[in-house]
Amino acid sequence: MTVLALLPLFHFALAPVSLLQGRLARRLSALAVLVDAALVGWLLASIAGGGDLGIVMGEAAVGLGIRLVADPLTIGFTLLTLLIEGALVAYLWSEAPRAYFYTLLHLLFGAVFSTLFTRDLFNIFVTLELLTLVSFLLVGYERKARQVWASLKYLVLASLGMSLYLIGVALIYYHTGTLDLDAIAAGLPPGPVPRWVWLGSALLLSGIAVKSGVFLFSIWLPEAHARAHSAVSALLSGLVIKMGVVVLIGLAATFPVSVSLQVLGAVTGILGLVYAITTDDLKRMLAYSTLSQLGYVILGVGIGTAASLTAAGSYAVAHGLFKGLLFLAAGTAIREGGFRDIAPLIAQRGRVSRGVRLALLVGTLGIVGLPPLAGFAAKSLLTHATAALPVQGVMFLMSLGTAAAFAKLGRLLWPGKGAWGSATANLSFIVLGLPVLFFLPLAWPVLPRALAAAGRSPIPYAESLAAIVGGYLLHRWIRRRPRRALPQRFLRLEEGVMTILSGFFLVLILVWLQAR
Amino acid sequence: MRRFSMPFAVWATLFVTLFCGLVLFAFDYEGPRVDSLGLSSESLAYDTGAANLVSAIYLNIRLYDTLLEVLVFSVAVLGVHFYLGPRGVEEQVEGIPESHVIRTSAGLLLPVIVVLGIHLVLFGHVSPGGGFSGGVVAASGLLLCAVALGAEAVGRRFHETFLERIEWGILLSILCLACAPLALGRLPLTDVLPQGQVGSLVSSGSIVLYNVLIGLKVFIGTWVIIHFFMRHRGEI
Amino acid sequence: MGVLNGVTVAIILFGIGLLGLILRRDLVIKLLALGLINSSTILCLVSLNARPDGAPPLLQGNGLGAMVDPLPHALVLSAIVINFAILALALVFVMLLVERYHTTDSRRIEEEVAREEGE
Repeated sequence: MTVLALLPLFHFALAPVSLLQGRLARRLSALAVLVDAALVGWLLASIAGGGDLGIVMGEAAVGLGIRLVADPLTIGFTLLTLLIEGALVAYLWSEAPRAYFYTLLHLLFGAVFSTLFTRDLFNIFVTLELLTLVSFLLVGYERKARQVWASLKYLVLASLGMSLYLIGVALIYYHTGTLDLDAIAAGLPPGPVPRWVWLGSALLLSGIAVKSGVFLFSIWLPEAHARAHSAVSALLSGLVIKMGVVVLIGLAATFPVSVSLQVLGAVTGILGLVYAITTDDLKRMLAYSTLSQLGYVILGVGIGTAASLTAAGSYAVAHGLFKGLLFLAAGTAIREGGFRDIAPLIAQRGRVSRGVRLALLVGTLGIVGLPPLAGFAAKSLLTHATAALPVQGVMFLMSLGTAAAFAKLGRLLWPGKGAWGSATANLSFIVLGLPVLFFLPLAWPVLPRALAAAGRSPIPYAESLAAIVGGYLLHRWIRRRPRRALPQRFLRLEEGVMTILSGFFLVLILVWLQAR
Repeated sequence: MRRFSMPFAVWATLFVTLFCGLVLFAFDYEGPRVDSLGLSSESLAYDTGAANLVSAIYLNIRLYDTLLEVLVFSVAVLGVHFYLGPRGVEEQVEGIPESHVIRTSAGLLLPVIVVLGIHLVLFGHVSPGGGFSGGVVAASGLLLCAVALGAEAVGRRFHETFLERIEWGILLSILCLACAPLALGRLPLTDVLPQGQVGSLVSSGSIVLYNVLIGLKVFIGTWVIIHFFMRHRGEI
Repeated sequence: MGVLNGVTVAIILFGIGLLGLILRRDLVIKLLALGLINSSTILCLVSLNARPDGAPPLLQGNGLGAMVDPLPHALVLSAIVINFAILALALVFVMLLVERYHTTDSRRIEEEVAREEGE
């Protein structure tokens, strides 16, 4: 299983090489995709061959060393990373940014691979900080003032979150003497939970929630994802934000945070959609939609059963695919059409190439959950995994809202006539779009039982079609009503800190209620 | 500068006080615990060959964390270079005036600082120190030079692009050193050099190599960051 | 342990840093407050198992005294470097913003950016 350590190390090694050999950077990145594919193939082969699933870096007793583990959920995210890497390399091929950009990309992918496999509290801290810094530099890449401001807010809030997390780590280490997640789970005292457990869980959860797109904690997300260069937005919304979710899955297995995750997930999902429906800027709508879809995923993680965890993980992977596709296509559409807002873009849709519009169509169909695409498959897994009626109701509302938000794109989605656009951009759309279209056959070898069980009943089909139609009708109804601007004040830095604190209190109360 | 409105300030103070109170209340801190370490200190020292147990931990057992943190440092240098590099000087600021006192005292202090930096780096596995502290001490020595001689003069001696190339080369060497155990069939980032006798200079395997490489890297990186800040402002 | 120990002081400093981050509008002061918050977490880690009579975690060759736990010290090394990197990069961005808008007031920068984006 040394490949678990090789994947990040390979990318970290490519970073200085890309910088020192600037002219080769683009070709090196293509080479990196091939080598990654080979390494991931090796990883899959080792797991299929029944090999040991983890290694300990440091060869010391567990508790002092750092454990790296690969489980089925992680494999899904690894494949997502590979696909997004390939799509990004193809998308940037004609644009050819500076070697600095490729260096940052390699560092980012290395950090992503490190976060995926780690099961150690402090290692999570260091990898997430590396991820934060590299994303921060990527958002500010074009040096425009609004990007610089958005990324500065991101850095300050993320650093604050990680400081909360670090105090939680200190607390947990003090009381349990170890930093390894499984050792901590074994070491937590049974029976009534002492005070430090709920404080520690609340601190850790609050810290990671800042980076996971939970509504109260991640107010930096709409601006940072919307204002960045589109390839960067695709990367952040499609991949980086999922790393927070991966860590949340690890935390949820050890600490009593499931109720908090369910509540936060539901709130995030619904509030994110309210903003997505009422905003006119294309990339901002996609960013708010990311927030709400993450609410979906976090709700699934909070439910906590094995089936719901698998479902939440698959939904996160599916979302990474179609949100990445949407952002890449949106970036090209905005550049070709010349407007950032949706209504003028629809008017100028003749200038947008066919490949882009087709990509937008596939992405939208995926995100609203048309059967049998990726979104539908993952959503039906999730609804099948839970029997509680209020949770199903919330999920249906979210599907409704997503359809209403994306119905705004209207005629922009119809390919129609026109030029096909750049070949490499279309290649990147294909790399992401094909898995969205053919998610079911691709995921079948990995999730046979769950998918078969979910696919047998007609309820998911009926539900998703009802949500799509209902969402479209909702969109028509909203369009006729007078528009009232929603408060944007909460996006400021001071409000951001206050909402993090209030979120912390909320989580504390919920954890206390759960673990009493 | 105007503050915020009263209600907001009151809310903020309330929230923060509540936060501190809750954390203090629930931390359950009962003084130091003497039984936390997973392995005993002796086995830690003799397994890794380092007398300095902290070095044994962060340069041998938890080397993965240290590697990631070195990368964080490199990202910082990369970012500073990208944003402050191409800009010229915003406004020419009057530097610290030429002073005989500063020059003489700098000349007296500099050898001490350099020797201290080298000692911290080389003996980091035996006494407190290590690559990070040694590198920062050496960089502050160079900063002292810049204060005494002027940033321009020092910048001409230590050419920017050359330094950066060396720094990225050092990062590559660290990664190669990390992957070297693969050739022997072990996991990367483990220690495969001979341990030697605990407490002597030649001991603890690759910890010394890591200390030297990290010390050089931190030295160059810190100096580059400081130099870009100085150059951007116009003078020190 | 007495009421005034390292962990308590660290949490109080964290609170002071939070107040500074929220209530002061100058960007540089906000960064200072962030630095204070980061340093307070480091203080918390270091003073977790600190004792007045504890020996430093070095094997002196004459057997073991009552050594302090070396693991938090190793964690702190990484944390310090990460905080340094965050502070350096945040300062660079603050410099960029100040040059563009000629003010360090966060509220005004927010308004200017919103106005530019609306156009």
